[in-house]
Amino acid sequence: MSPAAAIPLSRLREFVGSSHFVEDPAQLAAYEIDGRRPAAAVAPGSIDELSEVVLLAASERIALVVCGGCSKLPIGMPPSQYDLALSTARLNRVLAYDPGDLTLGVEAGIPLARLSAALEEKGQMLPLRVNFEDRATIGGVMASNSSSPLRHAFGGPRDFVLGMEFVTGEGVHTKSGGRVVKSVAGYDIHKLLIGSFGTLGVITRVNFKTFPLPPAQCAFVASFSAAESALALCRAVMHSPLQPWLMEVVDPNAGAIVSADAYRLPAQMWTVVLAACGKPSVVERHAADLPQLAESARADSFAALSDAEKSSLLGRIREFAAHARGASPAAVLFRISALPAEMADCLARTREIADRHQLPFAALVRASGLIFAALLPAEKDGDALRRLAAAANEIFLAVDKLGARAMIEWCPAELKQAVNVWGSPRPDLAVMRKLKSEFDPNGILSPGRFYGGI
Amino acid sequence: MDSKIIRELQQLLGRESVLSTSEDLMMYEYDGSIEVARPEVVVFPRTTQEVVSIVLLANRHQVPLTGRGAGTGLSGGALARQGGILLVFSRMNKILELDLENQRAVVQPGVVNLDITRAVEHAGLYFAPDPSSQKSCTIGGNVAENAGGPHTLLYGVTSNHVTGLELVLPAGEILRVGGKTIDSPGYDLTGLLVGSEGTLAIVTEVTVKLTRLPEAVKTLLAVYETVDDATETVAEITARAITPAACEFLDGWTLRVVEAWVHAGFPLDSAAVLLIEVDGLREAIEAQAAEILDVCKIHHAREVRVARDAQERELLWKGRKNAFGAVGRVSPSYYVQDGVIPRTKLPMTLRQIDVIGKKYGFEIGNIFHAGDGNLHPIILFDPRDPDQFRRAVAAAGEIMAHCIAVGGSITGEHGVGLEKSELMPLMFTEADLEAMRRVRRAFNPSGLLNPGKIFPFGKGCGEVRMPPASLAASTSL
Repeated sequence: MSPAAAIPLSRLREFVGSSHFVEDPAQLAAYEIDGRRPAAAVAPGSIDELSEVVLLAASERIALVVCGGCSKLPIGMPPSQYDLALSTARLNRVLAYDPGDLTLGVEAGIPLARLSAALEEKGQMLPLRVNFEDRATIGGVMASNSSSPLRHAFGGPRDFVLGMEFVTGEGVHTKSGGRVVKSVAGYDIHKLLIGSFGTLGVITRVNFKTFPLPPAQCAFVASFSAAESALALCRAVMHSPLQPWLMEVVDPNAGAIVSADAYRLPAQMWTVVLAACGKPSVVERHAADLPQLAESARADSFAALSDAEKSSLLGRIREFAAHARGASPAAVLFRISALPAEMADCLARTREIADRHQLPFAALVRASGLIFAALLPAEKDGDALRRLAAAANEIFLAVDKLGARAMIEWCPAELKQAVNVWGSPRPDLAVMRKLKSEFDPNGILSPGRFYGGI
Repeated sequence: MDSKIIRELQQLLGRESVLSTSEDLMMYEYDGSIEVARPEVVVFPRTTQEVVSIVLLANRHQVPLTGRGAGTGLSGGALARQGGILLVFSRMNKILELDLENQRAVVQPGVVNLDITRAVEHAGLYFAPDPSSQKSCTIGGNVAENAGGPHTLLYGVTSNHVTGLELVLPAGEILRVGGKTIDSPGYDLTGLLVGSEGTLAIVTEVTVKLTRLPEAVKTLLAVYETVDDATETVAEITARAITPAACEFLDGWTLRVVEAWVHAGFPLDSAAVLLIEVDGLREAIEAQAAEILDVCKIHHAREVRVARDAQERELLWKGRKNAFGAVGRVSPSYYVQDGVIPRTKLPMTLRQIDVIGKKYGFEIGNIFHAGDGNLHPIILFDPRDPDQFRRAVAAAGEIMAHCIAVGGSITGEHGVGLEKSELMPLMFTEADLEAMRRVRRAFNPSGLLNPGKIFPFGKGCGEVRMPPASLAASTSL
């Protein structure tokens, strides 16, 4: 591949105009990935401009990384080559919003916060209470398959994205899916793009189902002295007729991380956080049934939260990754997909490994099947990094043995020399590589960043 | 077909697992669509390993290979368009694992949709996707076509309920994608495979999500004097963001045909009815039902009946789910469409369908998943009359063009198959189709797997279709 110096910067500048072209190293710091800066950043103002940039990149072998709010660039392995940051910031319009049909089409660069506000005006929402609330764009949330606590009730993006438009690694603008709530015409390529970290194409438009904002809501907290009891409550709720919108388990250390002045979780306890939403009668039903279920699971305490307490706690849970990273100079955050019945073992095993390597540990659990496990050393020195690497590799093995799947979302750049953040690939990698080479034959889209070195 | 291939298949699978006489093959030239295509040999594998050996044999001889479940599909997906081997899954019909704790079931592709529910309802669980053919259609076919059903309005289509698959790739390799968990690292191959119409791989095992049975259910039948009032009701229910579990529309003509056979209790003198079901927490359904009742009244419903008990509810659903069988009694044949439109366009679209019917001289019945905007106009015609057949296809094309013009889709749940492959350019550009061809190339480079499906053949104009020699009209959906 060509070295960065050979990039035809002047042509890129022509495509997008000089005010949307950045080559000043100081400004390029925002696009840094694990210590590497690109030679330039461009922000196309239209699909045509974007396609031209990608086409040029393909013919000149310019490796590019797509970015929206630049909040999640460090996720994944460092790209094997990184010449150009391609920003979707200027592709930020609502293209179609039909509140009466509960459907929405937006450009990828639209900030989630702005979109949420627009939907709220019509009494609607997307179930995407994902992190980096202030910076995240729709394109970035899709490409990283960011997790939302509301996944408990609504599933993930694959369940409510109706279709997408995207530009392939050869600069071709294309689409899959549809704009209506039901369509089975053609292959659902958009499902591949969710969680693909920009390695298959540049997402330019996303079509969604929208949902009504609930007229009433209430959050509840039940605290327990043991993990098993907290998880028992979750199972009881899942096997009851209740339908909370979110159900999270917070371990004692994570409890300290998500506590703030506005609301502190009971110290040294395992807590289950639930939110009930809907008609007032539905929320009341949850308020009536949950205390009994909690008591049967041997809860130490049960409380309904005030609005202020709720927004503090749910806000901190939403930004758990950032707060956990604030708690350690070398935080490592695992994202582990696990089934409800494996949760307890998965938590116990990862915690035991962390303990053995003298690494403080915190876990936030999405009861429907996701664990965020954090290793939080007090120092970031060679010794800490060695312990982190050993623990991380052991956790990958242990989780795999339990039938769960793990990846590291956040870790110090240095750790990536010793640990593959995607874990060991499975036999499905061969097909994924073929798809990659069909969509990005020149290997210019975030090369090396993804699963199995894709 | 070379008799050597048939002999080899018999050696591999045993003579009892291979059909090749023309009277046997005739039984497999249909599905629920109006298309016809005869396979050259039909095989019934029992294991994934047998599927592998069939695939390897097909490769060696470069013979096309098409998978088939119960053959209830409505787009020709399970027809061997280019002949070759038809792989029927009726012997791979075992439920392999019920994981009630994690709400998952692992099943073979030939398991009948409703049998999953029957196996787990004792534990308060069920399999949510409910195509009207659910008593006979198989999960493998549901996965191939990404099947829907009335209750997908609230619960989603098949792809929302499948977490993992075992595949046999066209080169004969066994591959597992996804699993019981969701959100694994890597591309979501499971999401891609569901709805790929058997053109990327052969599915030999399916891991599905099980859903908790609702605490309470309420079924309403709203009766209208005009079609407009009924469609306006649906538009307003949607606009108020009330999402019932199901919201089905039957026009007067259709409900009279159904009533004559099923005796579901549909009022014979009405112009349209809505069959609306709410389920969930008791408190939630009471609130929803009250609001729906309010909307029905605003739009002049003559009467809103609430099913008193499970028996009455089942009868109403029997009327809905057997509607196509009923239609089969009054017409030599019918052609069912599967267009989708934004719900805000429902009233004008039904008026447009009426205009198109009159223009081509057909009675067009309407019975469909109104809450999803998923239309199923039924065009009644006599296939023995080539002119009628051509007019039926032309009328259908015009309805589809309308769906696309208002931002909709050519298929909501039946799949493209061979029936709608020529309509794909209405929805997708050449670049879009090329991207899809590349997906197919990544999996199925030789194109032997279910050839002639999804992608248009024609260069610009659609093929002129001749009426099939005879037509089966026993489908339900």
